[in-house]
Amino acid sequence: MTRAPEGDAEPRPRLPAVVTGHRRHPQHSMKKMLAVFISRVLRRVAQKSARRVLVASRNSSNDATFEIEKCDLHLLEEGPPVTTVLTRAEGLKYYRMMLTVRRMELKADQLYKQKFIRGFCHLCDGQEACCVGLEAGINPSDHLITSYRAHGMCYTRGLSVRSILTELTGRRGGCAKGKGGSMHMYTKNFYGGNGIVGAQGPLAEAFNMAALWKLPCVFICENNLYAMGTSAERAAASTDYYKRGNFIPGLKVDGMDVLCVREATKFAADYCRSGKGPILMELQTYRYHGHSMSDPGVSYRTRDEIQEVRSKRDPIMILQDRMVNSKLATVEELKEIGTEVKKEIDDAAQFAISDPEPRLEELGHHIYSSDSSFEVRGANPWIKFKSVS
Amino acid sequence: MAVVAAAAGWLLRLRAAGAEGHWRRFRGVGLARGFLHPSATVEDAAQRRQVAHFTFQPDPEPREYGQTQKMNLFQSVTSALDNSLAKDPTAVIFGEDVAFGGVFRCTVGLRDKYGKDRVFNTPLCEQGIVGFGIGIAVTGATAIAEIQFADYIFPAFDQIVNEAAKYRYRSGDLFNCGSLTIRSPWGCVGHGALYHSQSPEAFFAHCPGIKVVIPRSPFQAKGLLLSCIEDKNPCIFFEPKILYRAAAEQVPIEPYNIPLSQAEVIQEGSDVTLVAWGTQVHVIREVASMAKEKLGVSCEVIDLRTIIPWDVDTVCKSVIKTGRLLISHEAPLTGGFASEISSTVQMFNYAICCVELPLYGKPCSIL
Repeated sequence: MTRAPEGDAEPRPRLPAVVTGHRRHPQHSMKKMLAVFISRVLRRVAQKSARRVLVASRNSSNDATFEIEKCDLHLLEEGPPVTTVLTRAEGLKYYRMMLTVRRMELKADQLYKQKFIRGFCHLCDGQEACCVGLEAGINPSDHLITSYRAHGMCYTRGLSVRSILTELTGRRGGCAKGKGGSMHMYTKNFYGGNGIVGAQGPLAEAFNMAALWKLPCVFICENNLYAMGTSAERAAASTDYYKRGNFIPGLKVDGMDVLCVREATKFAADYCRSGKGPILMELQTYRYHGHSMSDPGVSYRTRDEIQEVRSKRDPIMILQDRMVNSKLATVEELKEIGTEVKKEIDDAAQFAISDPEPRLEELGHHIYSSDSSFEVRGANPWIKFKSVS
Repeated sequence: MAVVAAAAGWLLRLRAAGAEGHWRRFRGVGLARGFLHPSATVEDAAQRRQVAHFTFQPDPEPREYGQTQKMNLFQSVTSALDNSLAKDPTAVIFGEDVAFGGVFRCTVGLRDKYGKDRVFNTPLCEQGIVGFGIGIAVTGATAIAEIQFADYIFPAFDQIVNEAAKYRYRSGDLFNCGSLTIRSPWGCVGHGALYHSQSPEAFFAHCPGIKVVIPRSPFQAKGLLLSCIEDKNPCIFFEPKILYRAAAEQVPIEPYNIPLSQAEVIQEGSDVTLVAWGTQVHVIREVASMAKEKLGVSCEVIDLRTIIPWDVDTVCKSVIKTGRLLISHEAPLTGGFASEISSTVQMFNYAICCVELPLYGKPCSIL
């Protein structure tokens, strides 16, 4: 299954929110329709599941329509659609991407505990639907910048697992040549990965400029309920982050549902592209790990809470159930993908721990752009490094 | 006058350092402590107001860059910006109040000439101005940001130090904001008090990845500003505000460049090296001529021009020649850039003096 190609691509056409699915064998359709109807009624009576996985058509292996949660709106008359069509190809792609991000983060956790990864490491497992849904809603030619919890977005923006894990272990095969680490990974149209983030003043100034000059900018808050170790209620005077843009319209989105994120992102991107100015999206999500690897993540929340989210709102599980129940994929197929992903991650990890470190001579490069190289001091004032750029 | 006298007073203290040469003449002469003080007695000094004084000394008309015109400092800045916007279609100027011409008239006429998409006002948010400038520069445009007074640059300090300076390094040269230049009025003006007089170059000197440049005159300003704009690293260009009107000289109309990271030896001398930048260069020139006239001391005057990366070679070569160094700046003494210059020179020249003292026969003393 291939991922979106790198580089510029044609803008993806917006899928119509149709209710009927694609039929393969029209001559059996009437009988099948009746069977579908009866089984659906029975199923609806039997199931009391809290998850809304309503399938409007059956027996199509190629796509299915799903209902998604309605977004709360701020300063908007209309929001994203409440139903969306997922094709089999898309479903498998999103599943593979989310599973890859999940496994990659768990592998990073393992490598960190084995001390192959040092320094700071902020993992995003639990938030896979955010990065995958976001990428599904934008074009590769759009520009993305994010904070330090960036590994998932590094992957969805086109970096390979191998280059990400090797960057985490600080080796020369890493995407930033081993010099950047967890928080400084970049690629075309992706500006990191930033260690310095500001939540209040700089954001307000950015909101003001974007709204004043109608800049096509989607501001996204991945609300995982905790600002490091402080819960949102204890850190924010108003936790309705989608309203915090004040004069900027906003959406509150279910960030654990990849389809909801995708539709909201498409809506937001279209809004901006039509010249109406900036828009704000709050993705309600959750992270299983602590803020970083030095935070166990249980001193400010209970294990029960984490477990409850894992069992009821896990984004990969939600997509998996949808696909299996609507026959877009079988359990075996998804298991097969799981096995392939595991192999990819294991290979990448093996490379990441065996690749050599960058050459010491490169330490001083690219401090300044300079026609001639010059010398810089390191921690030892008598050892100089040549800086070339 | 008092500032000049204070600087000259430092020269007198060389007596105590036990230096050789001309200074021997003054030992035993028993000069009064207030020898060079303009007032009658030293005791009065505490009651007198210290008034800033300097006389701008224009350089001779430059011949090698074509036709020149008499311009003061703000006009030479306007000329440089005009040249930039003319030859670089991606160049934009933005900041508080730049559209109508700027509070110091540095951008007069540019919006009419180049349009409102290229010369525009920003909201009152220095952090946003610099952050926005970094963003534009990353896309490849030439961004010329104005911070209305250098005293206001501190909200943008995080953007400059953590973002602009490190952008190229942290992305392994994948991205950079080298086409960003930040211009800001700088230095004392007589009535500026706390927040319209500061000289913050030392704060930025502590940050690799940016360049900090301070001109002493209109001719220097235009050439250095054009070099900053064309330089592929983010640059901060501090314009001594007291010189905006007070300094006027012949400046070429066409664009020209003065190289960055090169100090200029304005006046050659043999007894002591005097280093300064910005307005203080004119103070030091006056000190040099007073020292020559009253003490017979031959001073070598150096204008540092670029604060970081600074021209270590020129200063050290000069100190090797003279054996003595005096650095003078407007900014506060503690942690001011003079401390960096003096420690670097001592490190290099101590090594040289230890090894080559027999050859040169001169000890080194730093003030």
